[in-house]
Amino acid sequence: MDLKLPKLGEGADSGVVVNILVNEGDTITKDQAIIELENEKAVAAIPATANGVVAKIHVKVGDKISVGHRLITLSGGAGDSPATAAAAPVAKPAAKPAARPAPEPEAETEELPEPAVEETAESGAAPVASPSLRRWARELGINLGKIRGSGPGGRIETGDVRKYIARLQAAATKLQTAPATAAAPAKPAAEQIDFSKWGPILKKPVSTLRGVIARRMWENWNTIPHVTQFDDADFTKLNELRKKYAPAYEAKGSKLTLTPLVLKAVAATLKKHPSFNASLDETANEIVLKEYIHLGIAVDTEQGLIVPVLRDVDKKSVLELAKELESVAQKARDRKVSADDLKGGSFTISNQGAIGGAHFTPIVNKPEVAILGLGRGAMKPVVRDGKVEVRMMTPLGLSYDHRVIDGGGAARFIVDLVAALQDFSEEVVKL
Amino acid sequence: MDPIKTEIVVVGAGPGGYAAAFYAADLGKKVILIERDKRLGGVCLNRGCIPSKALLYATHQITAAREAAHRGVTFAAPTLDLSKMRAWKESILTKLSGGIAQLAKMRNVTVIQGRAYFEGSQSLRVEDEQGQQFINYEQAIVAVGSVPTIPKVFDLGNPRVMTSTEALEIEDVPENLLVIGGGYIGMEMGTVYAALGSKVTVIEALDNILAGADPDLARPVVTAAKKAFKEIRLKAKVLKMATVGKQIKVESEHDGKKVEELYDRVLVSVGRAANSADLGLENTGVKLDEKGFIKVNDKLQTDDPHIYAIGDIAGGILLAHKAHKEARIAVEVIHGESSVNKDIVIPAVVFTDPELAWCGITEAEAKQRGVKHEVVKFPWAASGRALSFDRTDGVTKMIIDPDSERVLGVGICGAGAGELIAEAVLAIEMGATAEDIALTVHPHPTLSETMMECAEVFYGHATHTMAKKRA
Repeated sequence: MDLKLPKLGEGADSGVVVNILVNEGDTITKDQAIIELENEKAVAAIPATANGVVAKIHVKVGDKISVGHRLITLSGGAGDSPATAAAAPVAKPAAKPAARPAPEPEAETEELPEPAVEETAESGAAPVASPSLRRWARELGINLGKIRGSGPGGRIETGDVRKYIARLQAAATKLQTAPATAAAPAKPAAEQIDFSKWGPILKKPVSTLRGVIARRMWENWNTIPHVTQFDDADFTKLNELRKKYAPAYEAKGSKLTLTPLVLKAVAATLKKHPSFNASLDETANEIVLKEYIHLGIAVDTEQGLIVPVLRDVDKKSVLELAKELESVAQKARDRKVSADDLKGGSFTISNQGAIGGAHFTPIVNKPEVAILGLGRGAMKPVVRDGKVEVRMMTPLGLSYDHRVIDGGGAARFIVDLVAALQDFSEEVVKL
Repeated sequence: MDPIKTEIVVVGAGPGGYAAAFYAADLGKKVILIERDKRLGGVCLNRGCIPSKALLYATHQITAAREAAHRGVTFAAPTLDLSKMRAWKESILTKLSGGIAQLAKMRNVTVIQGRAYFEGSQSLRVEDEQGQQFINYEQAIVAVGSVPTIPKVFDLGNPRVMTSTEALEIEDVPENLLVIGGGYIGMEMGTVYAALGSKVTVIEALDNILAGADPDLARPVVTAAKKAFKEIRLKAKVLKMATVGKQIKVESEHDGKKVEELYDRVLVSVGRAANSADLGLENTGVKLDEKGFIKVNDKLQTDDPHIYAIGDIAGGILLAHKAHKEARIAVEVIHGESSVNKDIVIPAVVFTDPELAWCGITEAEAKQRGVKHEVVKFPWAASGRALSFDRTDGVTKMIIDPDSERVLGVGICGAGAGELIAEAVLAIEMGATAEDIALTVHPHPTLSETMMECAEVFYGHATHTMAKKRA
């Protein structure tokens, strides 16, 4: 029997094989991991769905595969045939996956969702079609044996071939979308430039994650009319609160950073400004206002940016948020974030304070309508009550979807947000 | 002398070779066609299909005249002028081969008469009485055909022991003719000589004549032959032959008994052999099978990337129309098209009286391969047309897939079956169902109606015969 790539979850229907964990000839048991697949979210081990002996491995490291793709062929169960038993010692010495001969990339891998197309002519009988249609199919490189004819007696008609081609194209486009857009995020096909003529260069392939980032950013940038509202927030008090309570949090096994405090301030502001905690449903032509506050936190990983979501930020304590932030950041860096961890955000925060830099213009994370970018807080002279004081000022950049939010609304939001940050209640931080 | 350069050279101008040369020229290629004989057309035109059909027609008149008596038309006994008959036959061949030469000229196909000998994968020389010339080509198509075989024990060096080639010359009408081999050549030539007045005996090693056709279809042929011939001896074997004066002494074995008989002529029609020797093929990458036929793949490519083989020399069924089809495929492949010699319906026709024709799967084949099928037949005794020209000795038969109702095979025995089978070939190629044929209006009164009615039998509602209702 063949083991195929199972459905992994919403939006995670394809990936790149990064490791093969079994060898031909191996006896495997159900639920044993057989390959590791990197997709846009994480590296996932794909478990076997049956027991048996690995007769043939149909994928190799680097293959881009999608749901339904044949991974391995199993022969027999417990009492396997002598042929496969004999094959085992041959395959065994080639322990390293890379050393194994790569299986031929099969032309038949276009696994199509609808079984109607995948009708194979049994017992090698010739497909039934007129001579002219058979010639036409040959010229197109279409295997009529894969088409179920709709005509009398199962005869394949011109329309059947056209439908089959359309389906092949749809399947091919689906497979190609990710890599194609990753390779060329700027839609007007970029001309190929030989950069090496100006000096040494290093080329590396676009990773799955980078491809996804590229596609999303391109889509978001091109479909959302962006405006970014700047301001600076006085973090002096916030930072004092952090310093004051850090030891207490430390005692509870948690490191208190400014981020959970920012989360609370943002959550409070969002409550006042529901249109920032919303989505635009373009098909229904409705604005969806969310009664929950799930905040996405942009996490910088070695592989690139990912945005795990913290749920119900308004209902959680700073301690809970601090702990959750630590664990989610670690999961993100270990690429163990599940697909569900990345979904359902209603607003995103991108805090670059730990790295440096001042104002920047973040790109709205669709289907959200706004995003807050924080730069590094710096000690600056500020006029307060007619006197110049040195305060810790943090640059804020609030990008929003101008289709949903007007400039006035954005200004009001940032004023309220700055106030929430500057007048942060000590009660909230207290343990 | 510098070698002639060409894109395509075709060796052999039979029905495969000249078709290939013409088609390649039509597709814009520079083509040279080489033929060993003085006359173009190969075995089919000169020593096979065409002369045998001419003789079958000429001699059928004798039988027809005799049979006319019970319909109220009586002729005097016919007088035979064999030289006139030969001349008439020759005139047809001359006309046809002249036509081929004319068509070659109009297409700018260079025809060279001589023996081709491959010197390498892309070069050959042609030898004739005047000398030799060299040709460098890009692709060669070998279409050199086959010859009748005579087992060594039968080869007495006596012209009275003939192959089909000599038999077609009808030098005389032997009083007693032995035909060794009850295949289509033996049966057709036996029919000619029987009509001319010879007492024909057929000796066949197998237990039926015209092996390959379903026995029920061959039956009317056997019945007619038993009447026209002196004897058909099945499961019999010729052991020895010797010249005895103007006759041939033949020792044969039948039913465990040995018999010695004298015949005036013997026709050996036990098979055909490939013309692959003396071609210089050993200087190319071409490989032969154990019988000497050239090995080809389904694109008619040999093991040499510059050489294709088509027709008899490429093995399989030795029929002119198969060679013609292969010619077109080979040329298309050379032309860069994706043509392939696969899933093609090749009909077979035996021009005995009655004729026997079939295409697609036979009943025997369906049984042997375990193909689910249903057999329906329409007897010609129920055909007004067959009755009106006194030939009810026929049957139309279909092998149908009961699930899809598709026609998988058709066999027809009866006068003119060779013409009728074409509809069946088209039906199978088109993937027609029995219903498609039943729903198609066939002209009345013609024998083609038997196709329609046979399909109707499948559904249990043929007008002119009672058939079991379909569940």
